[in-house]
Amino acid sequence: MRKLDGNLVLLVTLFAVLLVAGGLLSGGTYLSLFNLQSMASQVPEIGLLAIGVMLAMCAGDGGIDLSGIAMANLAGVASGLFAMSIFPVDEAPVLFTVTFVIGCAVVGLIGGTLNGLIISRLGITPILCTLGTQMFFTGVTVVLSGGRAVRIGTPEPLYEIGNGYVLGIPISFLMFIGVATLLGLVLRHTPYGVKLMMTGSNQKAAEFSGFARARIVTTTYALSGLLAGLAGLIIAARNVNVKWDYGTTYLLIAILVAVMAGVKPEGGYGRVINVVLAAIILQLLSSLLNFVGLSNFVRDLAWGALLLCFLFVNRFALVEHFDALFSSKRDPHASKN
Amino acid sequence: MNQYLKTSGLFVAAVVSALGMASQGAIAQDGKSITTVVKISGIPWFDRMETGVKKFAESNPEMNIVQVGPATADSAQQLQIINDLVAKGTDALAVVPMDPAILEGILKRAMDRGTIVVTHEADNQKNTMVDVEAFDNSAYGAAMNVRLAECMGGEGKWTTFVGSLGSRTHMQWVGAGEENAKQHSGMVLVDPNNESFDDANGTYEKAKEILRKHPDIKGFQTSAGNDVLGVGRAIEEAGLAGKICLVGTGLPNPSAAYLDSGAITAIGFWDPQKAGMAMNSVAKTLLAGGEIVDGMDLGVEGYESVSVKQGPGDGLLVFGNGMVLADKDTYKDYLF
Repeated sequence: MRKLDGNLVLLVTLFAVLLVAGGLLSGGTYLSLFNLQSMASQVPEIGLLAIGVMLAMCAGDGGIDLSGIAMANLAGVASGLFAMSIFPVDEAPVLFTVTFVIGCAVVGLIGGTLNGLIISRLGITPILCTLGTQMFFTGVTVVLSGGRAVRIGTPEPLYEIGNGYVLGIPISFLMFIGVATLLGLVLRHTPYGVKLMMTGSNQKAAEFSGFARARIVTTTYALSGLLAGLAGLIIAARNVNVKWDYGTTYLLIAILVAVMAGVKPEGGYGRVINVVLAAIILQLLSSLLNFVGLSNFVRDLAWGALLLCFLFVNRFALVEHFDALFSSKRDPHASKN
Repeated sequence: MNQYLKTSGLFVAAVVSALGMASQGAIAQDGKSITTVVKISGIPWFDRMETGVKKFAESNPEMNIVQVGPATADSAQQLQIINDLVAKGTDALAVVPMDPAILEGILKRAMDRGTIVVTHEADNQKNTMVDVEAFDNSAYGAAMNVRLAECMGGEGKWTTFVGSLGSRTHMQWVGAGEENAKQHSGMVLVDPNNESFDDANGTYEKAKEILRKHPDIKGFQTSAGNDVLGVGRAIEEAGLAGKICLVGTGLPNPSAAYLDSGAITAIGFWDPQKAGMAMNSVAKTLLAGGEIVDGMDLGVEGYESVSVKQGPGDGLLVFGNGMVLADKDTYKDYLF
């Protein structure tokens, strides 16, 4: 049987408590369908980026992806300009949307692969590599757009992706959950997923076991880029316009979400469901603070306190693992400490 | 398991009680609500606007009027706040957009939901009911440049700063400035449209770079509220106060020392306090089902007789007459 995931328990508890607290404090409006939809449609952008950061962290060796939001903006701008140059938005809305969606994914994949190749083949530290590519992506976006916002327009299918609902659930949120579920399954049940975690836990052992480390790392960063590309798609669909400096704060928030979700910064462990929950909780908390009408500086404070609290609790989990060493068999995921 | 529950329980209890205390009075009030959303909170410009919003709230005690804004200058953060406010059911929004283009989607959704939307510093905003401007932007940019050219004697290198390239009003001001400078063949524009992000420190660093790159530069025209402070500091530290001309948007109080030393030639501004009141006044009129018409008195100084034009969307553009250009000798009349 799997061990109880302390982080998951904490996340679920917080999720429930925030919903109840929000309902009580706002006299019900917080739990109204409109607000739940509004909050759900805000989660995917940051959630996709956070899963990208998680993947990079899992790859180990100081893995991190700082280029996420820059990549997302580049995907939106580049793919938008490309699609508009081929199909007129008003005359061929479906073709335009399909081109735009594929374009976002392709740009994201290319950018992510670039990161992966630099890190795995040239042996550059991930934080330096992705810092560099972050600036590079931002620069390309500024040049392509001339520094102005690019209007993607609102062809019906694209508008639906950003603002439509299925059974009352925002389509963008469904997409996010779908992608997350798929990735969660891949990480848990495919050879790639197992190898990724193994490589992250102990690179040397992985290499001596004959894992193609370079390929695993490249794939991982490519996936992270693809997720950023999808985030770019959702941003464009929601806001009608895309711009190079959108979401500059997302960079740190995405890392915050990943760490809150119990992803190990030293590599080898991370669960997608925790990241999804952590992203949702951050949204619940910040919306709640906006509802109560507190200053946004308080929000930073609350997030910081939350992060520290999670680090604290995770630390306890480590202690328990240590105890478990003496009594029973070990969880293979907890090979460190 | 017990460990987690205990720890999280404690934490949660603390958070809930803190929120409970904070929310008292914030949500309980009845009556219509107007929420002003600024680009960024905690900087002098929008602190001054908040005094106006508070003044308006005092004279309308039956309404729930507050100002909020993101802690960092990021259009995504402002977007999120507006999203939450619309969901919360605020009756009217008075927004100073960080980037009008990014907010089009949410403002449309807000209006579809029946929320009154008023904007400021965004005369290209399509999805707004009324955009309130303190003055005609081209006239303001040109007036600043006239003052700059006078100080430069009509010749020498000069450059411009904007808050961000997406900040439409800033681009209009420097654009009108450039137009005006064409009358003086001796004025050479170098490295235009530096982005300051309304951050005095960042602007200071950038201004130092420009002073190194162009040692013979003669003039700066700046746009965001904190730019004059950054550039002024760079000029003063280089020992060039009084030798280089600096005309830009700024507030009298923070700029006072630099105006006295000569590092800043003149500051142009409109009073954000009055602009905040004007926005709220328009929102109140719309909430009551009234109309905004040409020559109307908004009941705010500088907005006694506004001119109304058709905006880029279905909304209206409202211009007041609130331009002020102050220098060393005159700024004391406007201390705030």
